[in-house]
Amino acid sequence: MTQPRGDQAGSAPPPAPRSALQLHRALTAIWDTGPGIQRLSSVNHTVLGRRFMVTAFVFMLIGGLLGMLTRIQLATPMSRFMDAETYNQVFSVHGSMMMFLFGIPMLEGLAVYFTPKLLGARDFAFPRLTAYGYWCYLFGGSIITLSLLAGVAPDSGWFMYTPLSSNVFTPGVNADVWLLGVTFVEISALTLAVEITVSILKMRAPGMSLDRMPIFGWYILAMVLMMIVGFPPLILASILLEMERAFGLPFFDPTRGGDPLLWQHLFWLFGHPDVYIIFLPMAAVLSTLIPVFAQRPLVGYRAIVVAIVALAFVSFGIWVHHMFTVGIPHLALAFFSAGSAIVAVPTAIQIFAWLATLAHGNPRWSLPMLYIFGFFFVFALGGLTGVMLAIVPFDWQAHDSYFVVAHLHYVVGGAMLFPLLAGMYYWLPLLTGRAMVQRLSVPAFWLIFIGFNLTFLVMHLAGLLGMPRRIWTYAAADGWTWMNLLASVGAFIMTIGFGLLVIDLCVQLRYGRRSPRNPWKAGTLEWAMPLPAPCYAFASLPVVEERADWLPVRELGAKLARGEGFLGFTRNGWMETLGVHMTSGAPDQLIILPRATYQPLWTAIATALAVLAMLFKQYWLAAAMVGVVAALFIYGAQHAGLPRDYGTLPVGRGLSLPPHTEVQGTPPWWSLVFTLVADGTLFASLVFGTFYLWIAAPHWPPQVRPDPNVALALATMAVLVVAAFVSRLSLRRLQAGSSFTPTLAATAALLIAAIALTVVLIGGVVPAPGTHALGATSAALLGYVTTHAGIGVLFLVSNALRAGRGLMSARRTMDLRLTRLWLDYTAVTGIIAIGLVLALPALVRTLELRP
Amino acid sequence: MSAAQSRPVPPGRIWTLGLGFVIWCFALSLLYGIHAIGCAFAWPSATLRWTLVLVLALHCAALAWLWLRERRNPPDAAQGAAGAFMHWAITGTLIAALVSAVLVLGAPLLLQTCV
Repeated sequence: MTQPRGDQAGSAPPPAPRSALQLHRALTAIWDTGPGIQRLSSVNHTVLGRRFMVTAFVFMLIGGLLGMLTRIQLATPMSRFMDAETYNQVFSVHGSMMMFLFGIPMLEGLAVYFTPKLLGARDFAFPRLTAYGYWCYLFGGSIITLSLLAGVAPDSGWFMYTPLSSNVFTPGVNADVWLLGVTFVEISALTLAVEITVSILKMRAPGMSLDRMPIFGWYILAMVLMMIVGFPPLILASILLEMERAFGLPFFDPTRGGDPLLWQHLFWLFGHPDVYIIFLPMAAVLSTLIPVFAQRPLVGYRAIVVAIVALAFVSFGIWVHHMFTVGIPHLALAFFSAGSAIVAVPTAIQIFAWLATLAHGNPRWSLPMLYIFGFFFVFALGGLTGVMLAIVPFDWQAHDSYFVVAHLHYVVGGAMLFPLLAGMYYWLPLLTGRAMVQRLSVPAFWLIFIGFNLTFLVMHLAGLLGMPRRIWTYAAADGWTWMNLLASVGAFIMTIGFGLLVIDLCVQLRYGRRSPRNPWKAGTLEWAMPLPAPCYAFASLPVVEERADWLPVRELGAKLARGEGFLGFTRNGWMETLGVHMTSGAPDQLIILPRATYQPLWTAIATALAVLAMLFKQYWLAAAMVGVVAALFIYGAQHAGLPRDYGTLPVGRGLSLPPHTEVQGTPPWWSLVFTLVADGTLFASLVFGTFYLWIAAPHWPPQVRPDPNVALALATMAVLVVAAFVSRLSLRRLQAGSSFTPTLAATAALLIAAIALTVVLIGGVVPAPGTHALGATSAALLGYVTTHAGIGVLFLVSNALRAGRGLMSARRTMDLRLTRLWLDYTAVTGIIAIGLVLALPALVRTLELRP
Repeated sequence: MSAAQSRPVPPGRIWTLGLGFVIWCFALSLLYGIHAIGCAFAWPSATLRWTLVLVLALHCAALAWLWLRERRNPPDAAQGAAGAFMHWAITGTLIAALVSAVLVLGAPLLLQTCV
């Protein structure tokens, strides 16, 4: 970052603008994105959050249209509206789009837009990462959507079970579109999850200790932490299946030692928590709205926090309840059956807390409340059928029938749709600055509510009468005709409701009156700002001295606009916000954010080209584009940080703090920690996969026994450990003010040696990776080590370049501390991975003891 | 900013909030894995069952110990309301994890092992 002229680094704060308007203009000049094409360079959370939500809404409309096509096809028996192949693509993309392109991104958009505002921050910790996440999402979603128009869309259902999605049964690119497109979107989701986690923990308003955090913050924190742990198994599964399809590594092929059930395990390790990943932010919306309309604080704040923690963990422990019919012993099934039932308890705690809040309050009736009651009705039904499906004997009868389709739509569709629309109407004034017009809103609600229940309620009965899911047509003699016709009529009514809703939104945007500030008389911080929300969010940062969901927002808003909070001034053209102590919320650093840039867009374009190259089997081109992506990331890193030491800088209210470049426990540090948590989950899933194939897959042990080169493997481990040790020397030398170039070069040389050794080990894997899953898993474990050593080299290249630009000093050591952490992780996982490869011969021998 | 003026709650307490259920998840994973191995290698039913009981008992003991430790160490008054909140929430998650471990992971151990 080049230093602007007139660099202000004195102990006195810069002079505050004389009026709220002057402060607004000064901040807007720094935080706003330029007009026209410059909008593509935006990194602002308000802009990007809105883009996420609008894009997700568009995908919802496309997904809804696809759902309508399926209902037209199924409305009558033996319909010729679509052929089977087209139907397979339509319903597969409908499900995938609603889950991956609407559900999760919409919630991320919601979190991106509202979380900083509810927590009293000006932006997230990594604005460029938010922008990169958005572009990845848009491009990944577009690839999947365009594949439908080209007639090569995914056609194996939204959970892509193997062997149906393997080369044997899906030889075209349809499955590749899903695997690559969804993984692309998942990368976007993961980057945002890491960013939101760090921002919630480190970038709240001064004084906002954890007990004062609005309940919205707790829900979103749980959601993003679940994403960090929940998405890697699916990313791993997608990578493994793509490797099977592209290079013939048989992870899921039972004829060569693979197992299709491994896909199911990895998919549902993601898929079941995903239901709660969708539910939790919607519960956040409900927990925020209900107290406002009940006109009293939320009942049971502490109990709800405990319930959120319980829900987040237990939801991971019940993935097998999607696999009750695959032949798992009863005792193991009972763990997951009991877990599936008990997960209702923390959910019920929240529902009773909401009901108690309404019962003890003085509820006001308004449009968002209509949707809230729609939620209660729909979610109660979905929850009840969920408990039914948790019971193994019932599940065996209803599995893969339309009963499950109905349950899924009630839980995921209803639980998300109704709170989302409640929240949309509630926050519309903040998003648009316009007041609500209720003329069309109420009929739209009733059409959606009636249409939804008409469509999906009757599907329970169709399922109980034996209608299997995914079928493209049925005979009149099956007896499901009237139920399907009724469901299709309901779907049309719901669609008309959504049409009215879209018209309603357009009318409000065009003709709505200007909304007064805080129109609902809420007590959360997002209303303490002008409407619509300005790009800088808060003119000055609030000081929170009580729970931040029942604050005197009107008075606070006026004070903040006058610059009476922290950072009520501008300095050096910097985009400034505060970092706080994780638990107490005491300010501990001044965070300077990067300005608008096209770099995230270019990086996402390069990533999209890599994905497309893989899709078209141009693997060398894909590898080259991955190199470009890495180069762009390194280039971006050169434009972060400060070129000199500042000591402390005044932040207002008599307080001075060091910039984030000169302290420990900064957002970049924590972001790497959480990235490694996600990475570690992926690694643990790979280890699980190895053991799973060992114990459960057919055709084990292989005819050719594994025989790894022990000396080479031990040498690789040693090199990784030495590299981690030498990186410590670099850090010590930097802290001592000495040159660290030699140790940096030595670390790079060691990592390159480790890469070479692992490549030799992969080349010597027996049985050959393409012939048996044992060889394939060995190669995957070693490939994991190679990749991490390679990324370590990129860290070192970035370190060298940044050191050359003067971005490091004895006080500014973050770069080398990040590198050290990465290399420590690489060494530990490398030892485990290579150790497991060495242990495989013994593990294979033990299989001979099986009866 | 009264919270900032008192002694802050150590950041590590945030992770303690999830510790109870991390143990719960470990217990589930271990039980599921050992059960699969036991069935695959045809362990005698009693051996498998008592191994599973032992694994669960160890995890429950760890949860109970953490709960008792939390009870014996009331929140530091200098940490203010934040300390009391974290103490309450951590205790709540530990109890919830212990109860759900007994109900979810304990009761199935009465079933036949490898049917």
